[in-house]
Amino acid sequence: MELREFFTENVVKLDVEGETKDEILKELISLLGLDEKSESILYKMLKRRENLGSTGIGKGIAIPHCRSLVVNRLRVAFGRKKDGVDFRAIDEQPVHNIFLIVAPPLEVSNQYLPVLGKIAQFSKEPDVTARLAEIDNSGEFMALLEEKGI
Amino acid sequence: MHSQLEILLEIQDLKTQRRELDKTPGERQVEEEVFNITIDDALDQLEEKIDEMENSLEPTVRSRYKRLAGSRLRAIVPVIGGTCYGCFVSVPTALASDADRNEELRFCDNCGRFLYLID
Repeated sequence: MELREFFTENVVKLDVEGETKDEILKELISLLGLDEKSESILYKMLKRRENLGSTGIGKGIAIPHCRSLVVNRLRVAFGRKKDGVDFRAIDEQPVHNIFLIVAPPLEVSNQYLPVLGKIAQFSKEPDVTARLAEIDNSGEFMALLEEKGI
Repeated sequence: MHSQLEILLEIQDLKTQRRELDKTPGERQVEEEVFNITIDDALDQLEEKIDEMENSLEPTVRSRYKRLAGSRLRAIVPVIGGTCYGCFVSVPTALASDADRNEELRFCDNCGRFLYLID
């Protein structure tokens, strides 16, 4: 399966409002449509993962991720912060593009690692950072994923 | 959600994270190579947090949890589509459709695991 198939336009937010890493994590979690308690548990898990080491992989991209019982299938979301946010990324540069990935502990189709890998691969494409900065709507984001065919 | 269930879910998620980092070569490799994680340090941190959270459980819940965790990989499992995802046996319909689900601690009649009901 290609990355495009895991995203829908309603989990793409190109004008993230949060000003901090924590606020942005909460904002992206809210795109998943979970109940309040599940959102809270998921936030704690993502924070704990961040405490092990930042998921900011450089070139303005972060991929917060975890497995949690509060979801029953793999879920993804994307947020863009044009001004950038401090994510303590490995290159110490602000993060502009955030891909959230959450999966249940037991996955029949075992998609979590492949999707994580595909997002990392997508992020390493030479023109992706510039292209993500230019898109105007979620449809263009989906089209970029499709074009890359990863 | 029942406060003890919330803690149990967090413990199970942390244990999943620890197991994946420790035992799943693909996950370990991604965390090391893409995210620059030091696996041994991460495992120590997770272990410490798991201990802390287990100790915060109420004694009766902790006792049951410890008994289950001693013999099973997962002590807390989801119920999806009316099925316990620990033993894959159907749970009673009344339990699966309860509007106040997750407000009480519930157990699988078949395998005894703590249950978390999910849509």
